[in-house]
Amino acid sequence: MDSLASITRLLLLAALGLAPLGVAGAAEYEASGFGEIAVPSPEKPVRAEQCVEPVEVMRRDHMKLLDHQRDETVINGERDSKYSLVGCMNCHNPASESGEVVRYEDPQHFCAECHAYASVKIDCFECHADRGLEQLQQGKLDSAPPAWNGNGAGLNSATLGHRLEVSQ
Amino acid sequence: MKNAAETELPQPARRGFLKGAAAAAATLVAPGIFLYRTGQAATSLDNEARWGLLIDTNALSEADVDACVSACQREHGWRAEPGSKTDAQWIRKVKLTDQETGHQKFLPMMCLHCESPPCVDVCPTGASFKRADGIVLVNKHICIGCRYCMMACPYKARSFIHETLKDQLPVAPRGKGTVESCTLCVHRVDRDGANAVPACAEAVNRGERKAILFGDLNDPQSEISRRLQELGGTRLRADMGLNPGVRYQGL
Repeated sequence: MDSLASITRLLLLAALGLAPLGVAGAAEYEASGFGEIAVPSPEKPVRAEQCVEPVEVMRRDHMKLLDHQRDETVINGERDSKYSLVGCMNCHNPASESGEVVRYEDPQHFCAECHAYASVKIDCFECHADRGLEQLQQGKLDSAPPAWNGNGAGLNSATLGHRLEVSQ
Repeated sequence: MKNAAETELPQPARRGFLKGAAAAAATLVAPGIFLYRTGQAATSLDNEARWGLLIDTNALSEADVDACVSACQREHGWRAEPGSKTDAQWIRKVKLTDQETGHQKFLPMMCLHCESPPCVDVCPTGASFKRADGIVLVNKHICIGCRYCMMACPYKARSFIHETLKDQLPVAPRGKGTVESCTLCVHRVDRDGANAVPACAEAVNRGERKAILFGDLNDPQSEISRRLQELGGTRLRADMGLNPGVRYQGL
């Protein structure tokens, strides 16, 4: 019992002695800026009040919903689901302050904000459009396909870029 | 110790999760994802229809075929990437020249959506697949870019994306490292069913003159089946027994 009491006393002393050091350490830590990493709060879309599922479900499971949906769409042709990536981007399409298109690489992009915070690299946008249909239709594209004039006149293999094949 | 921001994050109500699972009388894997569920029809394709095209080459001029190609480019957002040595081959113009008479004929060539597609046979991951309704597609989510399907296809219908792409269209997601080909405008087929008109057909069909006719080969009453019955149609390289869904007239 004696030994236990003495150990407890020692621990108490140690704790009291170290306490001021700890406070000083915390203060330094905050001053260096490392303590100020904020949880991201991406901008909510203006046009819709409610997402397809409650926020807490979307936060945890949006990847599962999208993963399931992509197979449904590609294999079974189900294109009207509320869990489509196009649907996501139609609402969550932040316009930058200068009115330019916000790409996924931009930290302002709705998806990029949290994914940068969580260090999760996604490759959705290597193939899929990273913004909504409206922004795509406004025509601010770097690499739009050649305009189609409806009757093929004036088009040749150079403008179209397709190969001519000759057989027989 | 939790900081203020953490405690404010909403957490899913676990009690609600259990209640919901019981009420749905289903096996819940995750919210919205079920192993099976009762009382709700699953949306999945059936094999009642088999979609195909009938291309009347006599009704197609060279300009018409060019219009097909550019309509496909506009619909799906592909083009010859600057500096690329390999072009996207969703659809291309083929010129046939009779060497004796000099007569020339032009036809659009794309994925023929075979009944027994060799590209599906050789795919090591199952990315190259045939939908229940006969449309042959690449599931780019699992395509590893090995290009066996490109070598297996006797019609040279597929191409590989070498470049990093930007500004793909929502109806046609496509990206570096995957193989692609004609989808029979699957987004239009899923929307309009038997009344769908692929972009290439839309570009050349005027009124009753349908140079490219889309329809259901399984339905004997469909226009495509009736025209095939009346006038016949050529299966390209029929000797291989692949039974393509795209047939040609006038060859």
